[in-house]
Amino acid sequence: MVPDSVRAELRGIVGREAVIDAPNDLRIFERDGSIEGAIPDAVVLASSTEQVAGVIRVAARNRIPVVPRGAGTGLSGGAVTIRGGIALQMTRMRRILDIDPVAQTAIVEPGVVNQELSLVAAQHGLFYAPDPSSQKACTLGGNAAENSGGPHCLYYGVTTNHVLGMEVVLADGSVHWVSGDAPDRVGLDLCGVLVGSEGTLCAITKVKVRLLRIPPSIATMLAAFPSIETASQAVSAVIGHGIVPAALEMMDNVTVGAVEAHYHAGYPTDAGAVLLVEVDGIAESTRELMASIGRILSENQGYAMREAQTPAERELLWAGRKGAIGALGRIKPNYYLHDGVVPRSRLPQVLSAVGEIGVHYKLPVANVFHAGDGNLHPNILFDMRDKEVLPQVEAAGEEMLRAVVELGGALSGEHGIGLEKSAFMPWTYTEDDLDAMHRVKDVFDGDGILNPGKIFPDPSRKAVHLAGRTGLAVEAKWW
Amino acid sequence: MVVTTPAVEKPASPEELAQRLKEAAGQKLAVAPVGGGRASGMGDALQRCDVLLHTSKLDRVIEHSQSDMVVSVEAGITLEALQQELAKAGQFLPVDPFNSPGHTIGGLLATGWTGPLRLRYGSPRDFLIGIRVALPDGKLVTAGGRVVKNVSGYDMMKLHYGALGSLGVIVAASFKVFPIPMHDVTVTSAGGWNAATHALSAPVAPSALELDSKGRVLARYTGSRDAVGRVIDELGWKAADPSVWDAHARSAPETWARIAVPREELRRALQALPSGAEWWASPGVGVAHWAVESGPQSVIDMRSRVEAAGGTLVMLHAPDDFMREVGAWGKPPSTLGIQRRLKHAFDPEEVLNPGRFVV
Repeated sequence: MVPDSVRAELRGIVGREAVIDAPNDLRIFERDGSIEGAIPDAVVLASSTEQVAGVIRVAARNRIPVVPRGAGTGLSGGAVTIRGGIALQMTRMRRILDIDPVAQTAIVEPGVVNQELSLVAAQHGLFYAPDPSSQKACTLGGNAAENSGGPHCLYYGVTTNHVLGMEVVLADGSVHWVSGDAPDRVGLDLCGVLVGSEGTLCAITKVKVRLLRIPPSIATMLAAFPSIETASQAVSAVIGHGIVPAALEMMDNVTVGAVEAHYHAGYPTDAGAVLLVEVDGIAESTRELMASIGRILSENQGYAMREAQTPAERELLWAGRKGAIGALGRIKPNYYLHDGVVPRSRLPQVLSAVGEIGVHYKLPVANVFHAGDGNLHPNILFDMRDKEVLPQVEAAGEEMLRAVVELGGALSGEHGIGLEKSAFMPWTYTEDDLDAMHRVKDVFDGDGILNPGKIFPDPSRKAVHLAGRTGLAVEAKWW
Repeated sequence: MVVTTPAVEKPASPEELAQRLKEAAGQKLAVAPVGGGRASGMGDALQRCDVLLHTSKLDRVIEHSQSDMVVSVEAGITLEALQQELAKAGQFLPVDPFNSPGHTIGGLLATGWTGPLRLRYGSPRDFLIGIRVALPDGKLVTAGGRVVKNVSGYDMMKLHYGALGSLGVIVAASFKVFPIPMHDVTVTSAGGWNAATHALSAPVAPSALELDSKGRVLARYTGSRDAVGRVIDELGWKAADPSVWDAHARSAPETWARIAVPREELRRALQALPSGAEWWASPGVGVAHWAVESGPQSVIDMRSRVEAAGGTLVMLHAPDDFMREVGAWGKPPSTLGIQRRLKHAFDPEEVLNPGRFVV
């Protein structure tokens, strides 16, 4: 699908060794963090905006798909070259171009790793707030493309709330800055539309982000609950009291067992669920808030409450949470998860549905998620070597997502639609809604060369199995 | 040039509004959506105006889910009516626009107007989680939803926020709302820029901080009792009555402009105003409002300085002749070509607010 003449042209742009097309080497780029893969025809390692623009121009002229790719940690198949073509690897562009401690902004290349920015910014007492669990590996370009979230987005907001501007390459190879300087721009908010467009509207070559001051005091507490339901009620109670913590995370019994075996962080393995709560600010404020939270949690059957006494203890608690999905490998080698979001008050209902679905399919399910946002992550655990199991896993995932939608929720809170959820888009959007999104796609990429086969349903590839799950009321009347 | 008196339409439902819009577009009649009229001075003069499409009858709270802290409303509800509803549950929408009261939610979203609380909470762009829009072809389209985090498909909320109704008419919206702060204290100082800078760099940032051309600083601290108490003690400023914020929000000079620059540039930018100029600013945000008493040329001069600093100067209201001379928006964005294509994709006959916005 990528003719020799085009390969030669690509090598002319990025250099000989920066085009990978040996079959064995290409296999490394087959997937991201989700389960469906496709091998690209060529991988191009770009080192500059000019190279990205050059590659896209060549691809556009030859109608070859281009899929921008960061660290490949995405969880929705966004970086998978499902229609073949070029995987445009951005990780060589990994310079932090500017940190302005007065303006509290940073300009980075797309391949800069999320956590690296916070580590460097810490020298100025600043940090970058959105913190996906993969923050040790995932790139800021990928974060902007996916509008990524993370535990601390409960208080601080998701990626789009922190991106001030971007340099982007459009499908015709033209380079533009969108937003970036003043708080109020003139004209349409292209930056806001491009963040979260999953590589289907542009390639991102620079990102300007807001940095925040590191809070002087951080308090982190772990609390055990007899069940997921009681923990869910405690979450609603905290927020119902007008307290929005910096983070409010839940892990179920299965997850806690795996995490504790791996990290020895002192997680109570007898608990039905645990909550990890964090507040930040000045000491007076964190003390007062944590006292209120502790009271609300114990009123809601919380027990074995433990506040981290040292930064090391806090880090260990978070290592358990952020490494939870890896620790689940102790139970089964593979996992599959969706990240549907429900209104917080629906957590008990949706979690009980998730549990029933797991039982029905005889698949272990481990819940570890952003409870404060109502953002689920049910990890369905399985072994890919068992060829029979994969369709079962996907069917269970689809049922869980359907339950989310029927309770008035959304398909994805932070992972994106990508490949794996595109078939479900008509569950929450009408044909007209999708048509409006398609008009945007057509304006930016009329020939459909940028990350084709994503976001919009492709009935030729994947059919939806479920019309609806019985037993749950359809509450997704949107307006 | 407006030559005839436009027809006034006040549809009673989003469906009816979409139908009226479709009919007008079918006859290539120019349509100007109207909310509370508080920002009606914004933008260049309409090239044509055949129909004034009011949202005033779309004033329902569709659903307020108190425990989820999410509210869905029709676009014609006023900010005050919405706040009254939310207050029953101890919640509020953290936006406090100038030229209040009377803004509608649809108007606030279409214009992107904000106020002092933007310092702490950001703008409605940050807490708008769902939107419903009538398009000129009569379709009613929805994006986002009623959950606080959502990356399902393109972020169409951003497409319409601040687009001054040029791509469609907003008929409903959902927001993440916030708890009314436990403690809310206002203090004031006559210390000008130095006082403002000092307060903004303290460990606890104010939720709002306004500085005016007379050197008066107003700061609002919200949060836990101990934290607010400590910071107020350390600052040592005079207590002020919270009603000063309502008075401040009523600000709306006959001729005024909004200046937005990277916040570290704001002080220098405002020094370039004509001497004696009256203004008020949110130094922590990088936005200032200028009550223009001087002639059009002073605005043109100021705008070129602001644009050179990477900023924008937008006229919010001015007499017709004045507005024609300076133009509402200033330098067009470098992405104007794409923006025009987006306009064409949604409003191919250019019936919505023709000539008023950038595209």
